[in-house]
Amino acid sequence: MPIILENVSFSYSKKTPLETSALREINLRIEKGEFVGILGEKGAGKSTLTKLFNGIFKPETGIVRVDGLDPSSREAKRKIGMVFQQAADQLFCKTVYEEIAFGPLNFGYSKKETEQRVYEAIEAVSLDQTELSRDPFSLSGGEMQRVALASALALRPDYLVLDEPITGLDPIGKKDILRTLNRIKEKGTAVITVTHNLKGFFPLLEKIVLLREGRIAFQGSRESYLKKGFEPLPPIASMMKELGARGLPVNLTVFTVEDALEEIMRLKSILGIDNNENK
Amino acid sequence: MIRLEKVSYSYPDGTPALENLNLVIKKGEFIGVIGKNGSGKSTLALQLSGLMKPQAGRVMIRGMDTRDPSKLPEIRKFVGIVFQNPETQFVGRTVEEDLAFGPENLCFSPMEIRKCVDMALAETGLEKYRHRSPKTLSGGQGQCSALAGVLAMRPECLIFDEVTSMLDPESGVSVLEIIKKLHRKGKTIVYITHNLEELHDADRIIVMEKGKVMLEGEPKSIFSDISLKTLGFDLPSLIELAETLKTYGVIIPWEKTASPQSFAEEICQLFLKT
Repeated sequence: MPIILENVSFSYSKKTPLETSALREINLRIEKGEFVGILGEKGAGKSTLTKLFNGIFKPETGIVRVDGLDPSSREAKRKIGMVFQQAADQLFCKTVYEEIAFGPLNFGYSKKETEQRVYEAIEAVSLDQTELSRDPFSLSGGEMQRVALASALALRPDYLVLDEPITGLDPIGKKDILRTLNRIKEKGTAVITVTHNLKGFFPLLEKIVLLREGRIAFQGSRESYLKKGFEPLPPIASMMKELGARGLPVNLTVFTVEDALEEIMRLKSILGIDNNENK
Repeated sequence: MIRLEKVSYSYPDGTPALENLNLVIKKGEFIGVIGKNGSGKSTLALQLSGLMKPQAGRVMIRGMDTRDPSKLPEIRKFVGIVFQNPETQFVGRTVEEDLAFGPENLCFSPMEIRKCVDMALAETGLEKYRHRSPKTLSGGQGQCSALAGVLAMRPECLIFDEVTSMLDPESGVSVLEIIKKLHRKGKTIVYITHNLEELHDADRIIVMEKGKVMLEGEPKSIFSDISLKTLGFDLPSLIELAETLKTYGVIIPWEKTASPQSFAEEICQLFLKT
């Protein structure tokens, strides 16, 4: 069962002079176990879209269904874990343990069941058990982000929705969260993330949803996104697109340094032969 | 013009942030500072701006010792600092008021304040927002406003502590462009970042690790230093590609690695010349 949006529109400050349309005619389907990137410029409606998934916002027209359920229902909320950009904004307990246990306890799971889920969650995000007694606000940015992730995972969600999860982290913290997210996805949870960090996320994305001025400009596989020349692109893919624009017979689906090396050496060999023939 | 001599600083809980650090910043330089979380970058920024005093060693800002309280007003005029989150830096109800706060505190005359505020608005392109509340600005505009607030005090040296890390890429690029323009006009810039791509044009890069300077040099040499990888940094992809291509005999000059366009241009030049 997937997350389905059918013909969804959403405006801010509805029926006031400040009314602004954020999303228009969104049709979207996200399957379990997918790694989805929501891309687009600032103000394209990316964050608004994520808030429709778990019922924080209700669509003005159209319907949103999470495994066939109304997203604001209790059962649907258990299926979707949310992690926001500033982890510190969503932490509020005195210890890391209380923080992660809050969700399961709130959903009425027993203390024993909750404890089991807390341990499972910290393992998934590679937090050490000794961290459980710490004050979450004394943690580094990367650690806070992992606690926020663990809190979401403690409900064993089918869909994990993240808004810019690696912004502001140092390179090591970034790689660490990326690895963790990939592991979570491998275990069958859908990971849906809003991001500007293409260099970090691109290798993980299976599906891309590109928003432009509140509408879906593209939805499909990473490969077809690259082939069709959509932007934004990570630097290597962007360079490949530039080569293509200059008339070189280049493979546009290349986006890693290793593949680019191979591709450029291939170009060199075929173009070298052409040059000789011309002379 | 700024000199750190054997500077050490530990936080109250005992965590050492800077250890025996020596550093000289010359007038008009653009220095990039990188390092992991907890490597001492932000402490360095606070020391350079005189907001924090060393526990050992000394920081000399144009001949003034930051430990000397009588020199503080002069130091405040000379060095300005901008932080990661613009919202924590606003004090005024409107952008204009916010910008006037600094020069007012430095006892500039009303005429001078007017002039400084107008100049700072022009330099950051915020003229049309002068009567807006800074809290209603977007992230990028907010960060420009925070920068303008510092510029209004006419400092010669500006310190930036991860000012683009919370912005979307386009806003980040435009903030960095403003900073580069200030550098071209002669301001000394210390720019702390996690994003190595931003430091392609820096005069010098300093890599911090455990409160010390681990590496120091021009971007070109820092980015080709393999120890950068062992410190956990990924090179900008285009630079990494250029480095790998070099071993296969395809030479992409350093300047051409600055953007996908210039890189592609160079490949075409190399492969399509007849």
